Amino acid sequence: MSRKGCLGCSLPVLVIIIVIVLAVGVISLLSGALGKALVGDVGLPELFTVDPPHVQLPAEVIVHDAIGGFDITNTLIASWITIVLLAGFAWAVTHRIRVIPSRLQGLLESALEWLLNLCNDVAGEKYGRRIFPVITTIFLFVIMNSWLSLIPGFGSVTYATVEHGEAHVVPLLRGANTDINFTLALAIISFVFVEYLGISQGGGLRYFAKFINVRRFGQALGQLVRGKVKSGLGGLFMGGVDMFVGMLEGISEMIRVVSFTFRLFGNMLGGEILILMMLFLMPWLLAVPFYGLELLVGAIQALIFGGLTLVFATMAVMTHEEHEETH
Amino acid sequence: MEGITAETMRLLAAGIAMGLGAIGPGIGIGILGSGAMQALGRNPEARGPIMTNMILAIAMAEAVAIYALVVSVVLIFVA
Repeated sequence: MSRKGCLGCSLPVLVIIIVIVLAVGVISLLSGALGKALVGDVGLPELFTVDPPHVQLPAEVIVHDAIGGFDITNTLIASWITIVLLAGFAWAVTHRIRVIPSRLQGLLESALEWLLNLCNDVAGEKYGRRIFPVITTIFLFVIMNSWLSLIPGFGSVTYATVEHGEAHVVPLLRGANTDINFTLALAIISFVFVEYLGISQGGGLRYFAKFINVRRFGQALGQLVRGKVKSGLGGLFMGGVDMFVGMLEGISEMIRVVSFTFRLFGNMLGGEILILMMLFLMPWLLAVPFYGLELLVGAIQALIFGGLTLVFATMAVMTHEEHEETH
Repeated sequence: MEGITAETMRLLAAGIAMGLGAIGPGIGIGILGSGAMQALGRNPEARGPIMTNMILAIAMAEAVAIYALVVSVVLIFVA
């Protein structure tokens, strides 16, 4: 059979594909909000109508007070599914591990090798392997969370509740990255990991000397006491500048938690709202490119979170070994 | 008709927050892309590190626009 022709298909197949795409496009135009504004209500059956979108910022609670006052939200259930999938995949690959890898094992090996190369490139040979587990966990967790929320069924499987006297439709599953509690927890984990690495490598108090930099100030005071007034005063001034810069570094270190949280949360929530609005405007056709965008954004945000944690961890250990050759 | 209410100002504030908040990051990402393209043109072999660092820097610049988005979404749906 000749595979030449338009776009690799034979002409009849191409015509059928174009007809189907046009039909889907016309139906989506007519049943969405754009169509209602342009053409008016055509009277399509109940199946094709789209409700006005209702954006819910906090994650909806599925089970109230499940364990001692702790609510179970739909994002929590979604993150459990991610955990089960990731752990199940890892177990399935490694419980019969072979020297010549099977295809699934090869997939996991290539992903982990790519991440290990990234860690080694940024952090050097000595620390790359140590930092690798946390970075891989963060990366795989974030990317699996954000990609799972694109599978049909996430957000569409709903159940109706009556809350505060009005009927609500609550989705059973929602992407875990859209919950600010989850991103805040991940940011705190990353922050604590970086600080722990800095303290354990630099040795306790030497790490905090970066933020409370009283060395030059103390030296200048010593010089003043010994009678060298001019250099003492100059050193006093420079010491004051050092202390101020150290305080600024400390503040910027803690702002990282806020910045990590809102970067991931804002990107994922924005993507969810974007797809919701596109589904409202033109249900079937217009959302397809935005699903592609969400795939890309999810992967990039996972890389950003993991990569930035890696960079900050590297900076935390590198300051202790001053100007050591790593590259 | 009631004239300008708090609801009106909230919606207006949400629009202005996102609109003004997207100017800086947009220009910043453009400058980053331009620098990356020039570097790539000079040294096409260094494609890997250049692209990786460009993506990292673009995400940092985009985070500022995302802060503005979060403020705007909070204004509309929560406040």
